[in-house]
Amino acid sequence: MDRHLYLRAYMAAIVVPTLWLLLVLAGFCFARFVYHLPLPIERFIPFPMALVPNVFGLWNMLYVKLQPHWHHPLGLHGMALPLFLGPAGFAIAAATGVARIAQGNLIYFDLVRVPYWYLPFGPFVALAVYYLVWKYLVGYCNRVLGLPS
Amino acid sequence: MRPKNQDYEEIQRALKDAFPSVDTELHRDLWPPMLRRLEEQPVREVPWYDWALAAALAGIAILFPKIALLFAYHL
Repeated sequence: MDRHLYLRAYMAAIVVPTLWLLLVLAGFCFARFVYHLPLPIERFIPFPMALVPNVFGLWNMLYVKLQPHWHHPLGLHGMALPLFLGPAGFAIAAATGVARIAQGNLIYFDLVRVPYWYLPFGPFVALAVYYLVWKYLVGYCNRVLGLPS
Repeated sequence: MRPKNQDYEEIQRALKDAFPSVDTELHRDLWPPMLRRLEEQPVREVPWYDWALAAALAGIAILFPKIALLFAYHL
Protein backbone atom coordinates (compact mmCIF):
# COMPACT_ATOMS: atom_id res chain seq x y z
CA MET A 1 0.00 0.00 0.00
CA ASP A 2 2.34 2.70 -1.20
CA ARG A 3 0.07 4.69 -3.50
CA HIS A 4 -0.75 8.32 -2.80
CA LEU A 5 1.44 8.34 0.29
CA TYR A 6 1.37 12.08 0.85
CA LEU A 7 -2.32 12.42 0.07
CA ARG A 8 -3.05 9.79 2.72
CA ALA A 9 -0.76 11.58 5.18
CA TYR A 10 -2.59 14.86 4.54
CA MET A 11 -6.03 13.27 4.91
CA ALA A 12 -5.09 11.38 8.07
CA ALA A 13 -3.92 14.56 9.79
CA ILE A 14 -6.82 16.84 8.91
CA VAL A 15 -9.40 14.55 10.55
CA VAL A 16 -8.66 15.74 14.09
CA PRO A 17 -8.71 19.55 13.59
CA THR A 18 -11.73 19.27 11.28
CA LEU A 19 -13.77 17.39 13.88
CA TRP A 20 -12.51 19.70 16.64
CA LEU A 21 -13.54 22.71 14.57
CA LEU A 22 -17.08 21.35 14.30
CA LEU A 23 -17.33 21.19 18.09
CA VAL A 24 -15.76 24.61 18.67
CA LEU A 25 -17.82 26.26 15.96
CA ALA A 26 -21.01 24.71 17.33
CA GLY A 27 -20.09 26.06 20.77
CA PHE A 28 -19.37 29.56 19.48
CA CYS A 29 -22.54 29.61 17.34
CA PHE A 30 -24.56 28.49 20.35
CA ALA A 31 -22.99 31.23 22.50
CA ARG A 32 -23.59 33.88 19.88
CA PHE A 33 -27.04 33.04 18.59
CA VAL A 34 -28.61 31.59 21.72
CA TYR A 35 -26.96 33.65 24.47
CA HIS A 36 -26.24 36.68 22.22
CA LEU A 37 -22.61 36.95 23.29
CA PRO A 38 -20.78 39.39 21.01
CA LEU A 39 -18.45 36.82 19.42
CA PRO A 40 -17.31 37.93 15.95
CA ILE A 41 -17.30 34.46 14.36
CA GLU A 42 -16.66 35.80 10.85
CA ARG A 43 -13.45 37.48 12.04
CA PHE A 44 -11.89 34.63 13.94
CA ILE A 45 -13.00 31.60 11.96
CA PRO A 46 -10.47 31.78 9.06
CA PHE A 47 -7.58 30.79 11.33
CA PRO A 48 -9.02 27.59 12.82
CA MET A 49 -10.97 26.70 9.70
CA ALA A 50 -8.53 27.36 6.89
CA LEU A 51 -5.06 27.42 8.36
CA VAL A 52 -4.96 24.83 11.14
CA PRO A 53 -6.26 21.74 9.26
CA ASN A 54 -4.02 22.49 6.26
CA VAL A 55 -0.98 22.97 8.47
CA PHE A 56 -1.78 19.67 10.23
CA GLY A 57 -1.93 17.94 6.82
CA LEU A 58 1.32 19.48 5.62
CA TRP A 59 3.04 18.71 8.94
CA ASN A 60 2.07 15.04 8.66
CA MET A 61 3.29 14.95 5.05
CA LEU A 62 6.61 16.28 6.33
CA TYR A 63 6.65 13.54 8.99
CA VAL A 64 6.11 10.83 6.37
CA LYS A 65 8.73 12.41 4.13
CA LEU A 66 11.29 12.51 6.96
CA GLN A 67 10.72 8.95 8.17
CA PRO A 68 13.25 7.15 5.93
CA HIS A 69 15.98 9.61 6.95
CA TRP A 70 15.07 10.51 10.53
CA HIS A 71 12.94 8.13 12.57
CA HIS A 72 11.48 10.32 15.33
CA PRO A 73 8.28 9.81 17.34
CA LEU A 74 5.07 11.30 15.97
CA GLY A 75 4.21 12.86 19.35
CA LEU A 76 7.43 14.87 19.36
CA HIS A 77 6.94 15.85 15.73
CA GLY A 78 3.46 17.17 16.52
CA MET A 79 4.74 18.90 19.63
CA ALA A 80 6.87 21.20 17.47
CA LEU A 81 3.85 22.46 15.53
CA PRO A 82 2.52 24.99 18.10
CA LEU A 83 5.89 26.71 18.00
CA PHE A 84 4.79 27.93 14.54
CA LEU A 85 1.02 27.89 14.91
CA GLY A 86 0.92 29.78 18.23
CA PRO A 87 2.62 32.97 17.05
CA ALA A 88 0.78 32.77 13.71
CA GLY A 89 -2.55 32.42 15.51
CA PHE A 90 -1.83 35.33 17.80
CA ALA A 91 -0.64 37.50 14.88
CA ILE A 92 -3.84 36.79 12.95
CA ALA A 93 -5.98 37.32 16.07
CA ALA A 94 -4.27 40.67 16.71
CA ALA A 95 -4.54 41.74 13.07
CA THR A 96 -8.24 40.93 12.87
CA GLY A 97 -9.06 42.55 16.19
CA VAL A 98 -9.94 39.28 17.89
CA ALA A 99 -7.16 39.80 20.46
CA ARG A 100 -5.76 42.99 21.90
CA ILE A 101 -3.54 44.02 24.76
CA ALA A 102 -4.89 46.39 27.41
CA GLN A 103 -4.27 47.14 31.10
CA GLY A 104 -2.07 44.15 31.83
CA ASN A 105 -4.46 41.75 30.15
CA LEU A 106 -4.74 39.98 26.88
CA ILE A 107 -8.32 40.48 25.77
CA TYR A 108 -9.87 37.95 23.41
CA PHE A 109 -13.19 38.57 21.63
CA ASP A 110 -13.66 41.70 23.80
CA LEU A 111 -14.98 39.19 26.30
CA VAL A 112 -12.23 37.09 27.84
CA ARG A 113 -9.52 38.82 29.87
CA VAL A 114 -6.39 36.75 30.24
CA PRO A 115 -3.95 38.23 32.78
CA TYR A 116 -0.32 38.33 31.70
CA TRP A 117 0.70 35.85 34.38
CA TYR A 118 -1.31 33.15 32.54
CA LEU A 119 0.83 33.54 29.45
CA PRO A 120 4.04 31.75 30.53
CA PHE A 121 1.94 28.59 30.96
CA GLY A 122 0.44 28.85 27.48
CA PRO A 123 3.31 27.31 25.50
CA PHE A 124 3.59 24.35 27.91
CA VAL A 125 -0.11 23.63 27.70
CA ALA A 126 -0.02 23.90 23.90
CA LEU A 127 2.97 21.57 23.66
CA ALA A 128 1.29 19.03 25.94
CA VAL A 129 -2.01 19.12 24.05
CA TYR A 130 -0.30 18.76 20.68
CA TYR A 131 1.92 15.95 21.96
CA LEU A 132 -1.11 13.91 23.07
CA VAL A 133 -3.21 14.75 20.01
CA TRP A 134 -0.47 13.77 17.58
CA LYS A 135 0.68 10.71 19.46
CA TYR A 136 -2.76 9.16 19.92
CA LEU A 137 -5.29 10.69 17.53
CA VAL A 138 -3.20 11.49 14.45
CA GLY A 139 -1.15 8.36 15.16
CA TYR A 140 -4.33 6.25 15.08
CA CYS A 141 -5.42 7.79 11.75
CA ASN A 142 -1.93 7.19 10.36
CA ARG A 143 -2.02 3.52 11.35
CA VAL A 144 -5.47 3.04 9.82
CA LEU A 145 -4.18 4.46 6.55
CA GLY A 146 -1.01 2.36 6.66
CA LEU A 147 1.32 5.25 7.45
CA PRO A 148 4.17 5.36 9.96
CA SER A 149 3.16 6.43 13.46
CA MET B 1 -26.72 33.84 -37.89
CA ARG B 2 -27.07 30.50 -36.09
CA PRO B 3 -29.07 30.27 -32.88
CA LYS B 4 -27.04 30.14 -29.68
CA ASN B 5 -28.42 26.75 -28.65
CA GLN B 6 -27.07 25.17 -31.80
CA ASP B 7 -23.54 26.37 -30.93
CA TYR B 8 -23.87 24.94 -27.45
CA GLU B 9 -25.08 21.61 -28.76
CA GLU B 10 -22.17 21.43 -31.20
CA ILE B 11 -19.68 22.25 -28.46
CA GLN B 12 -21.31 19.70 -26.19
CA ARG B 13 -21.11 17.03 -28.91
CA ALA B 14 -17.46 17.85 -29.66
CA LEU B 15 -16.56 17.69 -25.97
CA LYS B 16 -18.36 14.37 -25.54
CA ASP B 17 -16.48 12.95 -28.54
CA ALA B 18 -13.15 14.23 -27.24
CA PHE B 19 -13.65 13.00 -23.66
CA PRO B 20 -15.32 9.59 -23.48
CA SER B 21 -17.46 9.09 -20.40
CA VAL B 22 -15.62 7.85 -17.34
CA ASP B 23 -16.85 4.87 -15.36
CA THR B 24 -17.46 6.46 -11.95
CA GLU B 25 -19.35 3.55 -10.39
CA LEU B 26 -17.67 1.78 -7.50
CA HIS B 27 -17.27 -1.91 -8.29
CA ARG B 28 -17.25 -2.94 -4.64
CA ASP B 29 -18.33 -1.54 -1.32
CA LEU B 30 -15.28 0.05 0.32
CA TRP B 31 -16.80 0.50 3.76
CA PRO B 32 -16.53 -3.16 5.01
CA PRO B 33 -12.72 -3.32 4.38
CA MET B 34 -12.40 0.06 6.11
CA LEU B 35 -14.35 -1.22 9.12
CA ARG B 36 -12.19 -4.36 9.16
CA ARG B 37 -9.06 -2.24 9.21
CA LEU B 38 -10.42 -0.09 12.04
CA GLU B 39 -11.16 -3.24 14.05
CA GLU B 40 -7.72 -4.69 13.32
CA GLN B 41 -6.00 -1.80 15.11
CA PRO B 42 -4.47 -3.14 18.33
CA VAL B 43 -5.28 -1.28 21.55
CA ARG B 44 -2.08 0.51 22.57
CA GLU B 45 -0.90 0.71 26.12
CA VAL B 46 -0.97 4.29 27.38
CA PRO B 47 2.07 4.95 29.62
CA TRP B 48 1.51 6.50 33.05
CA TYR B 49 3.16 9.81 32.11
CA ASP B 50 0.67 10.34 29.28
CA TRP B 51 -2.20 9.71 31.70
CA ALA B 52 -0.59 12.20 34.10
CA LEU B 53 -0.25 14.76 31.32
CA ALA B 54 -3.88 14.32 30.26
CA ALA B 55 -5.01 14.64 33.88
CA ALA B 56 -2.94 17.80 34.33
CA LEU B 57 -4.47 19.33 31.19
CA ALA B 58 -7.98 18.45 32.36
CA GLY B 59 -7.17 20.07 35.71
CA ILE B 60 -5.92 23.24 34.02
CA ALA B 61 -9.06 23.41 31.88
CA ILE B 62 -11.24 23.11 35.00
CA LEU B 63 -9.23 25.55 37.13
CA PHE B 64 -8.69 28.12 34.36
CA PRO B 65 -11.67 27.98 32.02
CA LYS B 66 -10.54 31.21 30.34
CA ILE B 67 -7.39 29.56 29.11
CA ALA B 68 -9.49 26.68 27.77
CA LEU B 69 -11.49 29.13 25.65
CA LEU B 70 -8.27 30.63 24.39
CA PHE B 71 -7.05 27.20 23.37
CA ALA B 72 -10.35 26.43 21.68
CA TYR B 73 -9.46 29.24 19.30
CA HIS B 74 -5.76 28.51 18.97
CA LEU B 75 -5.95 24.75 18.54
